[in-house]
Amino acid sequence: MQKDVTLDTKGLMCPMPIVHLAKKVKEMKSGQVLELLSDDVGAKEDVPAWCSRTGNQLVGTETDGSILKFYIKVK
Amino acid sequence: MADKMCMVVSEGTFDKAMMPLIMGQTAAAMGTEVHVFYTFFGTKLVTKKVNPKLPGMMRLFTGMFRNRMQKVGIPGYQEFVKQCQEMGVNFYACTTTMGLMGVKEADLLPGVKILGAAAFLKLASESQTTLFIG
Repeated sequence: MQKDVTLDTKGLMCPMPIVHLAKKVKEMKSGQVLELLSDDVGAKEDVPAWCSRTGNQLVGTETDGSILKFYIKVK
Repeated sequence: MADKMCMVVSEGTFDKAMMPLIMGQTAAAMGTEVHVFYTFFGTKLVTKKVNPKLPGMMRLFTGMFRNRMQKVGIPGYQEFVKQCQEMGVNFYACTTTMGLMGVKEADLLPGVKILGAAAFLKLASESQTTLFIG
């Protein structure tokens, strides 16, 4: 999947992936795609919930073993 | 207008200290305006000398708990409060409890405001979510 920035939050647990995600998205430009890596099982539900609340678009998800990958298009 | 969320914290133990910070920081990250009101034993959580411990015999394991939380990226208590404030979370100490417990305005952590029950209830009535942690 095409991406502009990668944010690796492996090893961090709820709510830290979301907190770092929110901070990173603030630094990015509209239309850019962020790749978020996480091994927190909570992120599976948390990231889509964060996207729908904040209006940023979740354009894709992938799983690589225990690593979850989220692709978020900045609004 | 942004969504609002309020929390009331009435206990001062480590578990009750961390929960509103975790919830509050997450809500702030989701674009929600957050207000946390500390009352009764919760009030000491927003004073400068704060070092919350787990309740009862569990207090002996507080350090182990704190280390485990730090390993997964959750900061120590006072640092966590600061990070929440930087993200816009508002902290309030209850006026009446301050009087009862002898807590002075100068004892409060920087940025903590003083609030009465009526003013808090006004905020709560404007909120979509209000949680009681005690």
